[in-house]
This record gives sequence, C-alpha cells and structure tokens, in this order.
Amino acid sequence: MAGRWRGGGGGGEVVGSIYSVLALVLILVACVELGDAATAVDVYRLIQYDLSGAPYGSRLAGLNHHAGAAPFAPGADLSRTVVILPVRELNLTFLQEYITSKQPLGGLLLLLPQDIRHKSAGGNKSRNVGLLRSLLSELEQLLIHVNLPYPVYFAYEDDKINAVLADVRRGDATGQPATATTGGYKLVVSTPEPRKASSPTITNIQGWLPGLVGDGTTQLPTIAVVASYDTFGAAPALSVGSDSNGSGVVALLEIARLFSRLYSSPKTRGRYNLLFGLTSGGPYNYNGTMKWLRSFDQRLRESIEYAVCLNSVGSWNNELWLHVSKPPENVYIKQVYESFSEVANELGVTVGIKHKKINISNPRVAWEHEQFSRVRVTAVTLSELSVAPELLQSTGGLYDTRHIVDETAIHRSIKLVAESLARHIYGCEGKNIQIFADNSSLAVNPSYVKSWLDLLSRTPRVAPFLSKNDPIISALKKELSDHTDEVHLQHESIDGMFSFYDSTQATLNIYQVASVTFDLLLLLALGSYLILLFSFLVITTRGLDDLINMFRRPPSRKAKAA
Amino acid sequence: MTVFHLLNCSILTFGPHAVYYSATPLSEYDTIGTSVKAAIVYLGTALVKLICLATFLKVPENDSFDPYQELLKALIGFIDVAGLYFALTQLTHRNISQNHKFQAVGLGWAFADSILHRLAPLWVGARGLEFTWEYIFQGIEGNANLVLNLSLAALGSLMWLRKNKPRTLIPIIYACNGVLATMPSITCYLRTLGWHPPKLVAFDLVSSLVMAFISWQLFSACE
Repeated sequence: MAGRWRGGGGGGEVVGSIYSVLALVLILVACVELGDAATAVDVYRLIQYDLSGAPYGSRLAGLNHHAGAAPFAPGADLSRTVVILPVRELNLTFLQEYITSKQPLGGLLLLLPQDIRHKSAGGNKSRNVGLLRSLLSELEQLLIHVNLPYPVYFAYEDDKINAVLADVRRGDATGQPATATTGGYKLVVSTPEPRKASSPTITNIQGWLPGLVGDGTTQLPTIAVVASYDTFGAAPALSVGSDSNGSGVVALLEIARLFSRLYSSPKTRGRYNLLFGLTSGGPYNYNGTMKWLRSFDQRLRESIEYAVCLNSVGSWNNELWLHVSKPPENVYIKQVYESFSEVANELGVTVGIKHKKINISNPRVAWEHEQFSRVRVTAVTLSELSVAPELLQSTGGLYDTRHIVDETAIHRSIKLVAESLARHIYGCEGKNIQIFADNSSLAVNPSYVKSWLDLLSRTPRVAPFLSKNDPIISALKKELSDHTDEVHLQHESIDGMFSFYDSTQATLNIYQVASVTFDLLLLLALGSYLILLFSFLVITTRGLDDLINMFRRPPSRKAKAA
Repeated sequence: MTVFHLLNCSILTFGPHAVYYSATPLSEYDTIGTSVKAAIVYLGTALVKLICLATFLKVPENDSFDPYQELLKALIGFIDVAGLYFALTQLTHRNISQNHKFQAVGLGWAFADSILHRLAPLWVGARGLEFTWEYIFQGIEGNANLVLNLSLAALGSLMWLRKNKPRTLIPIIYACNGVLATMPSITCYLRTLGWHPPKLVAFDLVSSLVMAFISWQLFSACE
C-alpha cells in the first residue's frame, strides 16, 4: 500500500484534495490574522482646521497608548496615556485647566451617551436632558477653539467600552497608572496622518419657479426663500444638524412642493417668480450665500422684492423671531412683518421682530439675510433663536440630532411662511382665506417632512467633506428639480480664511495586554520546569550518578590535564 | 513583548520534546533517524485521516453532540493506531533495543503532532497585542499529548513486538490501548459538554499521567 501512487485519476484526486485542504488552511490563517483585537469601536475624530493660519482642533490622528481614567494623581505624567472621559460625568473645569495649561496627553477619548443618538422613551428626564445639552455645547465650544497637539476622539458608550472603562478604573484604583510593565488596556487607532483637504468646494443649489407672465412683458417680481444646508461641529462625522439647519431645509422643500402644486396650473399661478436657494458655507459667515448673490445678474437682483431666510425652525413652542437688518419702520419690512404676524395670530403663535444693524467693516455675518442686505436686497431671517449666534455656534453640533426636533414645530413654520407668502402673492391680505388649509389638497404633508428630516438627520453635512457630487447634494438637486422648473448647481471654493484636514472617522482597537513582568515570570517558570523535567528523566533512565557526573565533568577534566 | 510571549509558548510546547530526547539515552544511541521516520509516517496518517473525515462525515448544522458522528470520528481515530503499527513494525530501524524503539517512535509521533496542530495557531495568534491564556493551555495540552503518545507507543510495542506476554495481561493491554486511542474523542466530547479550558487541560494532564503509569507498570510486568 505504501509507495504505490497511481498517476492519473486516483492520484490526481488525492492531490486535488490536498491542495484544497492547503488552500483552506491558508485562508483560515489569513482570516485569523485580521480579527485580532478584543474590542473594536467606531470613533469619530475632533475637527482639525486652520482659521487664518492659526491651528485649531486635534492635530493628530494615530493613537497607540495605554488607557487611563480619571481621577488621576496630581502631577501624574499622562503624555503616554489615553484618557477616557465619559461626557455624562465630565468635570468641565478639570478639562479646561488641563487644556489651558497645555499639558501633553497621549490622547483623549470622550464617551457620548446613547441618549443623544436615540429618542429617549419618556420626557421625564427633561432636566437631565437640558443639562446634557448645555454641557455638550460648552464642551464643543471649548474643543473647537483650542489647539490640541494630540488625537481627540468621540465614541458612543456601549457595554464593551463601559466594561473596559470599569476595568481601567479598578486598575487605577490600586494606585498604579497603567504603563508598559503593569498590563492594562492598549488603545490603538491606525490611520495615516491627516492631510489638508485640497480646495474644498461649497455647492449652492437653486430652483426657479417662474410666475404667470401677463399681457405686458414687464419683469415679474421675485420672492426668494433661502436656507443653508451645511453644518459644522466638533465631530464632523457626527454633525447631522437636525435643527440647525436640517429643519430649515425640510421647510424649504415642503414650501417648494406646495407652491409647485399651486403653480402647476396657469389658473392658479401667481404673478411672482419664486426662487428657492439651498446654500452652503453657512457656518463660515454665509460665504456661499455671498457668492451666490454675486453670481446674480443685475436684473434678477433688482427684481427680488424680498427674501425669507430660514434658520433653525425645528424646536420652538410658541415664539418665532424675525431678524432684520433694516429698521422695522422701513416700509417693506413693515409689510413683511405684518403679513407674518397676521398668519401667526391665526396659528396661535407669536412672531417677534429683532433688529441688528450690519457693520460693513466687520467680516462676521451672523444671519443669512445680512448677505442680502449687503447687496441691497430686502431680506429677513425667520428663526427660533432670539440672539445672533457667534462664529461656529449653533451650526449643528454634537447635541443637534433628530430627537431634539419637533415635527409639529416644522409644520407650523411651513404654514406660517407659505401662507404669508401666498397671501402676498395672490393679494388676499386681510381677507379670511386659508390657502394651505389642513385636510385640503394643499395641506402640509407630515410624512414628507418626516422622511426628509430623517434623511438629513442621518447625513453629516460638513461642507469641506462633501464632494461636488455627494449623494445628499444630488438628492437635494433632484428634489428641487421635481418641484421647480430650472435647477442650477453652483460650485465655489471656501474663502481662504478656513482650511480643513481630513480623517474624520476611524476604528479603535482595544487590546488587553500583559505586562513585561508577567512574561519574564513565565519564562522563569518554564525554565525551571524544563530543568526539573530534564533532571527527572536523567535520574529515572540513567541514574542519579549520571546527573551528578554531568555537572562534575569540567573539574574532573581539569584534574586529568593537571 | 508579544514575540516574547510567542517564544514562551513555543518553549512550553516544543521544549519537552527536545529535553526528552537529550535527557534519556535516546541521544546516546542516536535514534533521531527513527524519530524522523515516525514523524513522516504521522504526516501520512494525518492526511489519510483528513481524507476519510472529508469523505464520510456530514457538516454539522448545530453544535449538538451527535453520537453517530462522534463514533465515526473515533473509528477514524483508530487509523492513528494503524499508523503507529506501521511505524513500529514495518519501518527498518537500526539496531536499537525495543525499549528505545518505542520511545523514539513515540517522541517523533508526538513532535509531528505538536508541530502540525500547534505551530500554526501559535505563529498566527501569539504574536498579536491581545493577551489570552489560550496558547499556554495549548502548550500544556501538547505536553500531555507527548506523555499520551509515549504510552500508546509503549503499549503498541508490547502488542506487536513482544512475542512472549503473560496470558492474563493481554486483554488489559488491548483495553488500555483502546482507551488511549479514543482519548482525543473523549476530550472533544467534554469540550462540547461545556468544560472550560483549564478543566479540560487538567483532565488531559491527569489522564495522560495515569495512563502512562499504567502502561509503565504493564511494560515492566512483561519484562
């Protein structure tokens, strides 16, 4: 049987199965190589950007250090430790001192609670929710305005990370910080170093709904409805901006849909053109809006009667604000304000008016309508915010997720804007006519609003990380082209003041490592085991004398030589 | 220090084989050729077993213990015994005493077994950053396996090479041989029962030491 390999069929089959076995073994080996860590977690990096050359945010992406958790011994050296801080129990002053004293850290891992990702079941935790909101916004403002020369990552709390954190705390409680000789956990993020995003583009999307041209060929007046759709936050991969400004975008799309139904038949088409604009570059002093307005030709710009900008209309109860830059006594502003208040009264809400003068020399543009005012177009901003936000504030951050948006608030905003626009277009001010009445064919469609809000709340929209043909831009373009006649995309680049770096998301591997002392002890134990085994075998097979002779040989040889 | 861990586990898994070879008179009589031949026979046996397993066994849908399948696996395990028989009797050895022959064959057999079953997992797994006790347990299991294979070889040589055996002991010898041959299946069964690795390894060690003691007694009784 032994050496009779028949060539051909039988031998070929055996060889084939041997090859398949070998291939299987190789595949297994490769697969085992890849799945190595105890835990792998999705982490999102803090934004890294330069503002006029000054660096801000987290400047590194790669991470390879031991984990540590608060509280620390005072004066402990943390430059080779990754500090894990759950945001829920965060002591902001501690973090602030640490950052302002510029102490080096190996890295920082902030754990976000799951509450902000999923809608919490009951509303009974409103006080905690409010605290969390203010804590997160303070944390965000702290982190995006400092320069941190170490990697900072955000992760959502889950069981695996909580178990690791509890273990690290227990290890730290015995008084030893985790270093290379005492075991513990090692956090590894292996990504290439971040590079500057080359020439980031901002894309403005506009839709044009022409009005009914009458007998004369005079230019029809235009009303513009504008909302900026991009966001900015501490973790760009998490900046979904549901309220700022996802709510505005959804409201604009629904208004476009309603007016496209009205304008579809010549009998109901109004004598105003409607211009819908989804602008980008909102957090950067409404840079995109300015470039969009500059691209208008003279006739179009002069034909705009007024523009309504929507900014954060998703989480208000009873009060909205109309922000203006021309004084409220101005005739046009008064007209707009009165039409809004009339509808607001019918809806049972109030609209206040806030006047903020523009300072031409100040580059800061707090509201979108200010860009319009700078080119002498009457514009107002409708918002739930009563105070103008600072630079990079209220632009859709960590806390701004789906669960803080109230859909009925968006419905009311849509009705408010659409009704007042329609009454102005069709000249029914003062008459008791409801154009977009509930339960009519022109009612606000809740499922439309909900589905677009859900989509926007799943899509992070930080402009420098959106390419020219990003899916969300194509989706918005397609939606606008369904409702309007002509849609244009305008690609611009952000003004030189801001520059951004990539690498916003990574996978964190958590390894449980043994210390060097453990390995040394194991080596010692193995050495003694093997020596014992050797002696035992020599004694049992050759006799004790042989064992002793093995150790006495060198001296006896010397004796022989001498 | 991950390569350090690999080094430690390799010493634990393969060290005793080298120590056994150098400590006993095997090294004096230069029986390495026998061990190498036994290792090659083990390789052939392993391939035959793989082919039989692939041909006759069904892929289990769930993890439950199927007696028929386990019985089949045990039967295929007896191919091991056939391989040992071949190595002990059919190969030409230099003029070495029976005593040393079974030791050399058993050592070569166990060494090939360790290399084939334990080297690849060690190389792939013990070098990673993550620390587990798995490879240390595997090394201890390799040690127990060495003892087991030596006793199996001893009993095998008793059965097939020794012609004059006391009549009463023959059934005991065959029984012990059977137990030793099915030891891997027993361990598998215990693993499906849910025993933890430390318990499994302890069971392996204790059982192999006990069987070694029994075979030693039988061997010396047949002198």
